[in-house]
Amino acid sequence: MRHTTGIVAAAAAVLLGALMGASPASADAPDTRTSTPIRHFIFLMQGDRTFDNYFGTYPGADGIPDGACQALVLNHPENGCVRPFALHGKTPDPLAPGADVIDKQLDGGKLDGFVAAFTAQGRDGSSAMGYYDRRDLTYYWNLAEQYVLFDAFFSAVPYGYRANRDYWVSAAAPPGGDTVAPTGYGDGPTIFDRLEAAGVSWKFYVQDYQPAQTFRTRTATDPAPQTVRVPLLNYARFVDDPRLRGHIVDLDQYYRDLADGTLPAVAYVASSGSSERSARSIPAGQTLVHSMVTQLMLSRSWNSSAFMWSYDGSGGWYDHVVPPAGLGLRVPAVLVSPYARRGQVNHTRLDYTSALVFVEHNWGVAPLTGRDASAIDLTSAFDFAAKPRPAEIVSMNDQPAHAPLVRVGLIYGWYGGAAVLALVLVAVATGSSRRRPKPVARPRPPTREEVPVP
Amino acid sequence: MSPAEPEGPGAVAEAAPVDDGRPRIAGRGPRSPDWLAADALAELVLRRVRGRRPTVSTVVRRHGPIVAVVGLAAFLRFWQLAAIGFNSDEAVYAGTAASIAGDPTMRSIFPVFRAHPVLFQTLVALTQYGHQPSDLASRSVPAAIGVATVIVTYLLGARLYDRRVGLIAALVLAVMPYHVVVSRQVLLDGLATLCATAVVYCVVRYTESAGLRWMLAAGSMMGLTILSKETSVVLLGGLYAFFALTPMVRIQIRHVLLALVALVVTAAPMPVVLYLAGRGDTGRSYLLWQAFRRGNHGLLFYADVLPNAIGPLVLAVAVAGLVWLRRANTWRERLLACWIVVPLSFFTLWPVKGYQYLLPIAPAVAVLAARCLAALPTLQWLRRRAWLPRTVTVLAVLVTAVSLAVPAWARVNPAPDGTFLAGTGGLPGGREAGEWVRTNVPARAQLLAIGPSMANVLEFYGRHRVFALSVSPNPNDRNPAYVPVPNPDRSLRDGEFQYVVWDSYTANRAAFFADEALRLIARYHGVAVKTVTATVRGASGQPVVQPVIVIYEVRVQ
Repeated sequence: MRHTTGIVAAAAAVLLGALMGASPASADAPDTRTSTPIRHFIFLMQGDRTFDNYFGTYPGADGIPDGACQALVLNHPENGCVRPFALHGKTPDPLAPGADVIDKQLDGGKLDGFVAAFTAQGRDGSSAMGYYDRRDLTYYWNLAEQYVLFDAFFSAVPYGYRANRDYWVSAAAPPGGDTVAPTGYGDGPTIFDRLEAAGVSWKFYVQDYQPAQTFRTRTATDPAPQTVRVPLLNYARFVDDPRLRGHIVDLDQYYRDLADGTLPAVAYVASSGSSERSARSIPAGQTLVHSMVTQLMLSRSWNSSAFMWSYDGSGGWYDHVVPPAGLGLRVPAVLVSPYARRGQVNHTRLDYTSALVFVEHNWGVAPLTGRDASAIDLTSAFDFAAKPRPAEIVSMNDQPAHAPLVRVGLIYGWYGGAAVLALVLVAVATGSSRRRPKPVARPRPPTREEVPVP
Repeated sequence: MSPAEPEGPGAVAEAAPVDDGRPRIAGRGPRSPDWLAADALAELVLRRVRGRRPTVSTVVRRHGPIVAVVGLAAFLRFWQLAAIGFNSDEAVYAGTAASIAGDPTMRSIFPVFRAHPVLFQTLVALTQYGHQPSDLASRSVPAAIGVATVIVTYLLGARLYDRRVGLIAALVLAVMPYHVVVSRQVLLDGLATLCATAVVYCVVRYTESAGLRWMLAAGSMMGLTILSKETSVVLLGGLYAFFALTPMVRIQIRHVLLALVALVVTAAPMPVVLYLAGRGDTGRSYLLWQAFRRGNHGLLFYADVLPNAIGPLVLAVAVAGLVWLRRANTWRERLLACWIVVPLSFFTLWPVKGYQYLLPIAPAVAVLAARCLAALPTLQWLRRRAWLPRTVTVLAVLVTAVSLAVPAWARVNPAPDGTFLAGTGGLPGGREAGEWVRTNVPARAQLLAIGPSMANVLEFYGRHRVFALSVSPNPNDRNPAYVPVPNPDRSLRDGEFQYVVWDSYTANRAAFFADEALRLIARYHGVAVKTVTATVRGASGQPVVQPVIVIYEVRVQ
């Protein structure tokens, strides 16, 4: 029924589009132009975490190696080292590393300064060796078990939220690094320019969106933090052109679009209080992802959607895999889709631009830079030959254990035996009565029975 | 031993004033020895003449009426059997049966071991192997059991009095709304009633014969009755009262003890299987909860519902018979009276009541009513015309049967009346809503209903977990099978529920929780995704279409 409704809605949307002219905001019109069954791609970017910090103990993944121990002081092993430890029940402060700390952590590819970099600053960096597991990230681990977890997904650059997030949308770093010029990020193309030109619907959903906060409103006292999370708000054209600006909307619109069947073809999402940058916001982050994924599953868009989320840098957390040249440390990334391979740990070397490549291939738009032109897309995580998997809500809690097996034979044996026993006793009694000679029809002496009971 | 004497210590001390050891209709008086001799001679002659092979007409005359009654009983119990969806209790029992049959989804929703023994559910499970549970297959079991009860009632009436009484009793039970309604539902009480009626039959045979075998059969059947529904243990009180109040029925203590052993052995599977399955605590929890749960109905509940369920005319005839024929009353009427009065008194005083709890007394009431109707020809004023006794009796039986059949037929074909009486034929729209859930709601999605009745129905048809707002977090105040939602706000915030269900049936009974559901729906951006309507009688008496169940999709953000 849902499928039929979807077809009818799609047909109506196509007809309406033909009558009223192409509507770039129309959700379903571009669906027929995809090279895969994916007609909706949603990519949420969260705060800074490493793969080992979130999935370092995930079975089957390239996780924390045995014997890992980071020196407290670089080149002074006699001062001891810190082994990875579970952060369950702890709420460490964000590490908030600067560029120099990240550099020291990487140590030219040796990856031996995750703790020492903080020690050198006179800080306690042992928290960097902490990791979360299923107890803390139940929902994420449950999702990973059902869909695809990438364990070779790297951040675009070793350091910088702005840089990583601009790679996310444009496959390039912003011109001024962490410094935003008065003219913004300039004229470099983003994936949304490509989609806009191709008539493919798109939206940028922002949690707790504040439309007045753009790169133009940044001051020394007000850094306009929203512009860090939403790279498009640093591009003059996306701020000034009402047509483009109209694509940047509050996250509430995502749920309305799902309900209305107007989910765009490509949707990027920036969270706010649920970003997981701090330990306390991790539950909120999981709730956000749960809400977005669940509502997608409940919608009629599910059968043609792919939902992905990742993290915008290492945040100073430990990871044991040396990143390829130019890339940052591994970050967690999970893909949820009816076409995603079930429970796959994907080892393909990917980064944020891999998602851009997938969008470019799927909707037939040109690459943005050499970076995405040479990147590997997400295809290895999909199985498009298979039928789309029906939606299956994934629990925020531990997956319920299968109902204990009840030995049905026990029930049939005992209860059946009881029934047979009763029936046999009745049959025996009946049989014995029949074998007895029937009372002869002759008068009996009067007895008390003839006297009514008082 | 002379057949004229009691066969043993257990037999009635008084001899039966009849030719074959069984008394005829009370009030008619014993036949004279000449009559009996003539009867025996005539039968011998007839057998010689007919070569002991009964003719077709004899067979039809002898068995035709009971076959017709059984056919009528079957018709009323199987007609449009699945037209209405399950009510809450049926959903639980059918779901348990599906769990026993190995349905993995149902097993995660309906645990095999809940409040009751699973004899009946195991029988229902036999119809569910290899396919998803169907309403028709599940209900066929209690319907067939209901028909079997009519047959056993016939045997009981025939044993106690004669075939005419058996036939009338069977007819009364066949069309009695109480028995028709309950035996059309997947409930334990139909099987308990069948077994209980068999217990009475065995006790009658024991009282007549004093044979240990019948006492053992009675004990074992009593065990089976308890294995059908554990509250049937109350019926033991009826038997105790009968033997205690009827000194002329002498029983041996050895027979009683052996019968108790048979009872215990037969009923043993309930605790033994619980223990072997590691669910001993489950059993104790249910027992404690059943024993100390809060009352659900007032003292006059049965006085209010039972007359219409059994039939006021039947009750009147049964009581009138006891009074009118009081001079001819024997242990037989005392047995039936004790069988009726003890459970009736117990459940009237017991704070927890259920509409169907007293079904096991229905066959006894039917027999007492039939005894009275069959005795009508003995009225002196009817003997003024030869045809009058038979005609009046037939008319009286027909009037009684019709007075039962009309309301029974109405219950079989319920008209919308907006009363939403649970336990008597489904929750309006429950099946439709559940089937929508099964088809449209993603796997593992969870729903939050107002009360557990609707939750049970949606769980069965929807094959999804459904929780209920009104389930108390206090373990003393809730069925151990139900999982409370102590903080629904938090649960919704944590994304545990994707849907909230409002239904008019529960809203009428639990206004506070209905309001709470609406508040949650508003707070969590509820969007109605399915509305089930039903035609009910409006305030003006005209049928109006009203939404009875609304399923809202909710979200946190």
